[in-house]
Amino acid sequence: MHKHTFHLRDIILLALIAIIFGVIYYATGFIYNALTVALTPVGYGPMANDITIGIWCMAGPLAGFLLRIPGSSFLGEFLGAAVEMFLGNQWGAANLISGVVQGLGTELGFTLTLYKFYNWLTVILTSLTATFVTFGWDWFRNGYNHFAPHMLVVMLVVRFLSMFIFSGVLVKLIANLLKRAHVIKR
Amino acid sequence: MNPSLKLFLALIISLEITFTTHLTGNILIIVAALAYLILSRVPVTKIIKPLLITLIPAAALFSTIAFFSPEHNVRFAWVLVSRLYCYVSVGAAVTLTTPKLDLIHSLEQNCHLPSKFAYGFLAALNLIPRIIQAVKSIRVAGEMRGVTLHWWSPTLYFKAILAAISWADQLAQAMETHGFVEGAPRTAAQVIPLRKVDWACFVVILIVIQLILIALP
Amino acid sequence: MKELINVHNLTFSFAEQEPVLKNVNTVFPAGRVALLTGPSGCGKSTFLRLIAGLLPKYGGTVTTGKIDFNGQQPTVGMLFQDPLMQFALDTPRHELEFVLENERVPRDEIAGRVASALSFAHITELADRQLTALSGGQQQRVALAVVIARQAKILLLDEPFASIDEANRHFLIQQLDKLVNEQGITVLIADHDCHGYQQLHPLVYQVTGGQVQQLSPTNSQQFLDEADCIARQPLQTQLPLADDIAALALDEVTIGRGDEQLLSIPRLKIIEGKVTLITGPNGSGKSTFFAALARLLPYHGNISYLGTSIQDFSRRRYRQELGLVFQHANDQFLNVTVEEELALSKKNGTHPYFKDHLAAALQLLNLTGLEKRVVYSLSGGQRKKLQLLLMLMMGQSVLLMDEPFAGLDQKSLQNIFTLIHQAQKVRPQTLLVISHQLAGIDQLVDFHLCLTGHQLIYQTGGHHES
Repeated sequence: MHKHTFHLRDIILLALIAIIFGVIYYATGFIYNALTVALTPVGYGPMANDITIGIWCMAGPLAGFLLRIPGSSFLGEFLGAAVEMFLGNQWGAANLISGVVQGLGTELGFTLTLYKFYNWLTVILTSLTATFVTFGWDWFRNGYNHFAPHMLVVMLVVRFLSMFIFSGVLVKLIANLLKRAHVIKR
Repeated sequence: MNPSLKLFLALIISLEITFTTHLTGNILIIVAALAYLILSRVPVTKIIKPLLITLIPAAALFSTIAFFSPEHNVRFAWVLVSRLYCYVSVGAAVTLTTPKLDLIHSLEQNCHLPSKFAYGFLAALNLIPRIIQAVKSIRVAGEMRGVTLHWWSPTLYFKAILAAISWADQLAQAMETHGFVEGAPRTAAQVIPLRKVDWACFVVILIVIQLILIALP
Repeated sequence: MKELINVHNLTFSFAEQEPVLKNVNTVFPAGRVALLTGPSGCGKSTFLRLIAGLLPKYGGTVTTGKIDFNGQQPTVGMLFQDPLMQFALDTPRHELEFVLENERVPRDEIAGRVASALSFAHITELADRQLTALSGGQQQRVALAVVIARQAKILLLDEPFASIDEANRHFLIQQLDKLVNEQGITVLIADHDCHGYQQLHPLVYQVTGGQVQQLSPTNSQQFLDEADCIARQPLQTQLPLADDIAALALDEVTIGRGDEQLLSIPRLKIIEGKVTLITGPNGSGKSTFFAALARLLPYHGNISYLGTSIQDFSRRRYRQELGLVFQHANDQFLNVTVEEELALSKKNGTHPYFKDHLAAALQLLNLTGLEKRVVYSLSGGQRKKLQLLLMLMMGQSVLLMDEPFAGLDQKSLQNIFTLIHQAQKVRPQTLLVISHQLAGIDQLVDFHLCLTGHQLIYQTGGHHES
């Protein structure tokens, strides 16, 4: 039972999932700001982004595990960004760019498994690809070449941990529940 | 200006300034975007709000570069701050002046975005109040059984996604009984024009921005 | 009379389950109203979706037979049970435009057809309001306008009045009558609550055991008369006495929904350790009343529990005192299997009766042997019974039950009454029950509150409920 196109139902579902994550993490926006304020005096302000990034990227991997169609992870992440833009998030159109970057990052992990495995290996792969792709983007956007090297290493490690814990482990636990409830077939 | 072109212009500008470090250019873009917002009669409070929220990440970025980086490069810190404000003001120049339905219609009519994406997305947006209510009642269901569900509890997502699956099913079926067929041709109640003037504006603005980013010191 | 919908030997089942419909043969004549009735979960909704062409596309398989429309391809419109879950756009006008665009109506005709559809459904003044801000009844009017705009020849209604008030129900039935008589539209309605349909002179079809059977004219008439009557059966209940202790007391409470006021209760007490039934027309605000008691909705005035305002309890503490049995069983579950659900209620529950008699209770409810099953794969009735058991086990002092008996057969109902009786003997809980199923409920309830005209009033024996 392989299908390779998105139907209306899938698109609505992906957008709904993106909104659900947004609703539950509405509070995370404040966590982000609070973290930034707390970390700035010690020179690690931008790290709030690395600590919370795994939370922003959850919709993509979950969509990948749920629908198992090539492109679903990308679409899940991108629709999430579009929802944020339409709801008047401050970053506006730039949300779409972040959505594309994060979507590519998480999708790449599934691509590396050739869309054949949906196990813990997939979790590690998507966490890794998402970490590197988003870090590469932020390198330019936030001028990481001006940061102290030791700080960049710390930020990269923290970012991977955040990706692994939230977009990886938490997503896999949710996917496991969905699988046991026979929502995810196979 | 045509909504799709406006969006693409904003995306191009946002991308371009990510890879340049032109302080004057950034500031000119911010000023132009804010002027456009004011000329479009967007209420000032709506413009100021995103600018204020951005103060926090902007301050963090500034202090990290200016005080904690090896070179203490204050000028580059200002470039980054202005870049953040470019994203915000250019983004606002699109979202605060374009009704979302116009943008969706424009993407459908002018850019041939498949209608299933356009309307599937809109249908989901309609359910936001229902989703907020559902998340609330899942947490209550937990509390009544002696379980506290936090934002990191898989159960909270599991239950919400189960609900979403059933809603997506219901909505898709309902849209089908409202005559919607994936990929079928449709007419348009509101035609979103894509005029030569729109293209001319688009091209002229792009050229001006290139001139600013290249020619100005 | 010409038949429009012919169903030949139709068998349909959802994945790996018993067929919902078995070798169904029936016809529906053109230009008439057909009323399909049967308990929740009997397959009447599935049947409508098959006619609408939504199934098997959206799940399940047709193993034998077919449905044909006399070789034609009529436009089929549908009104769904959950009024909000049928719109893609944000306002009635935009939705109607969307619908007409789908039908490829030329641009210059769209505005006119939108206007006449709006006016038929009497919602012209709501055209530019947000759909999410409309009441269920108003949303169903918009759905009716959609059907009009599409010029549907067949109209299917799937329990369309489940959550809307009597005034809107009355209006919609009147407009249906108009559609049938003036435009010859064929209407199929699936409903388990069949009161008030006499005006449409429907042909009655019974859906049971996978079969669809048309009743004879005499039997149809008798059935409709009974449906109108059941709602008026008197219940043998008493008025509470002045010195009965109140578990919950309300003082000058008003509860609204959107901009309309639903409930206005000067004074009311809910008696401790007793079972109180709440009845009232659809959409009158019974569930909203529960939501306020459970602190899920804001209200004005004062609600107190054993003398203390319910707002003064911590969230955790309040949930230990007051439980809510949701209208939809699925909303209650937190885990995947029956076993896990039972384990959770066993671990955190405090009701002494179930500490010793859980196995017997499972036996009584016919739930033994299902431990490994996924709760969402159980039948509707099994889910309802499990849900009720899980919440009874928790042992809150007050338990609000929203339609706990919907879709249960008479035998299950009897067993549940027995179970509640036994549990009440060991530890009397204050039970508040919303139910439209009143047969035999006398033996369970002590008091009866009726919600009419924004008020909750205690009833005595001879009262005729409308």
